Amino acid sequence: MSGFTAMSVKNLSCGYDGTDIIKDISFEVKIGERLCIIGPNGSGKTTLLRALAGLLPYSGSIALGGSELKTLSRRQISSKVALFSQLGTVYFPYTVFETVALGRYLASKKSIIPSRQSRLEENEAVEKQLRSLGIWDIRDKTVTELSGGQLQRTLLARTFVQNPEIILLDEPTNHLDLKFNLELVEKIKEWTSNENKTAIGVIHDLTLASRLADTILLIGDGKTQKLSDASDVLNSQEINQTYGIDIADAMRKSLAFWNN
Amino acid sequence: MSRHSRSLFAVIALIVLSILTVAVGVAVGSTGISLSEVFAVVFNKLIGSDAINNIDDPTVAIVWNLRLPRALLAFFTGCALSASGAVVQSVLKNPLASPYTLGVSSGASLGAGLVIAFGITAFGGLTLAVFGTFFAIITVIAAIALATRVDRSLESTTIVLCGMVLSLFINALFTILSGLSGDKMTQILRWQMGSFSGKGWDSIKVLIPITVLGVLVLMMFSKELDVLSFGDETAASVGVETRRVKWILLVISSILTGTAVSFAGAIGFIDLVAPHIVRRLVSSKHCLVVPLSALVGGVFMVIADIVSRIAVIPKELPVSAVTALIGAPFFVYVFFKRVKRRSA
Repeated sequence: MSGFTAMSVKNLSCGYDGTDIIKDISFEVKIGERLCIIGPNGSGKTTLLRALAGLLPYSGSIALGGSELKTLSRRQISSKVALFSQLGTVYFPYTVFETVALGRYLASKKSIIPSRQSRLEENEAVEKQLRSLGIWDIRDKTVTELSGGQLQRTLLARTFVQNPEIILLDEPTNHLDLKFNLELVEKIKEWTSNENKTAIGVIHDLTLASRLADTILLIGDGKTQKLSDASDVLNSQEINQTYGIDIADAMRKSLAFWNN
Repeated sequence: MSRHSRSLFAVIALIVLSILTVAVGVAVGSTGISLSEVFAVVFNKLIGSDAINNIDDPTVAIVWNLRLPRALLAFFTGCALSASGAVVQSVLKNPLASPYTLGVSSGASLGAGLVIAFGITAFGGLTLAVFGTFFAIITVIAAIALATRVDRSLESTTIVLCGMVLSLFINALFTILSGLSGDKMTQILRWQMGSFSGKGWDSIKVLIPITVLGVLVLMMFSKELDVLSFGDETAASVGVETRRVKWILLVISSILTGTAVSFAGAIGFIDLVAPHIVRRLVSSKHCLVVPLSALVGGVFMVIADIVSRIAVIPKELPVSAVTALIGAPFFVYVFFKRVKRRSA
């Protein structure tokens, strides 16, 4: 299936309260591709991601498998697209297992009373993700007791359990230590290439973005500044202009610590 | 105990406890009646068992006509308040929210105040309940409609703010009404303090079906409530039509609370406490939280009613004060125990 378009965005503008934050952005993501959206603070990365998840009104076009996103129902969108977003406060003591199982909401809604078979399937799917993300041992802990990193993994497991075609990641590595950062990048890579799925992620850390992405979309001031291969974008003039510093130089200076 | 068996244990224990508490509620009073007599009368009336041959008629009448309706009214009022309390907390993602936050009690109070002040009798003995419920629901719908106007995505904070603003506004109208109502003011205030006395089967026949049906409908939204507790964005992302579901849930909760409040008065605290107890001690999953909160709330309310009757015989304490007096320390105890266990 590679080579087919998973999502196609044309002349997209969107924002809040009538003010456009994203202005006329166009790009395409192929099935199995990993696209990272980078850009300085306030450039509109998260807004763009929320629009792709169908959570914001927009003008222009977002085509999902041939259908316009805004004509699809919430269920139709969610069966194809899962959003991993930052969670604020968790008020109620759900366990890790229960939290991850929420990703199966649509699957569990197929019948009013779930059959034994579907419950087994649910448990199996949840267990698989819990083990894969290394949180099986804390499955009975409540989410109110977790460290930032454990919570992040729990939420990621929930996104995977939803079994979407496209996963949208908003800063997935925010609270994770370096080792798990790298592991997570591998997990997402594995997931996209083994199952031919698509990932679109907003990632601040440029090193991490370069490790994860096939393609990078650099946005500044709500507009596309450059859209190309990861190495192309990271070594471009545009990235220096958008961030207002010499990125390559800054990176080399940080690396200098480890050279000796 | 595993999570699963603990849940099962909680369900069975609470059902038994509910029946026992209601029975004790019937037995306790100025005329002491034994538990076996209580059950004998109830079985006789329900399935025609003949175990009451040796019980005198006044006792049968006290049990069946006075105390049982009262105990049941208290129980189902507690159920309705607590189940809707649990739902509103989750929908608004606010552990301190309750249907009262949305203006239910101020709406119901205004309705009841109008009935008392103007001596309206349009619906006979149910006039207070009908007006109270109607005003409660109108107030909540107005609050949510206002919130929708302000913020199309219907964020929880907006709903809470609109509910509170509208609540204060309606409260002001209520205060003016009671202030101008002269000698009827005492009657209005007494209604507001809450009481289960002097209500017969008429009220029960309305309250039980509404409560049972309401709780069942709320339970059908267990999954949605689970997801909504994690935020609207998460809920939408896994496939919940958040706006529609929130509207439905808030309106059903207000109907439940509005009805209960109109029969029994603006009794607070139980709707706040019961769901937290269930979440802390049993589970956060709403397929358990909603029905178990209802049972815990029911049990609490019957106990509060017993205390209100026997604390300073022959006077009765306002139930709303008793719920807070019992509820607040218990609430602190549950949380304190939890904190101690975690830090140990």
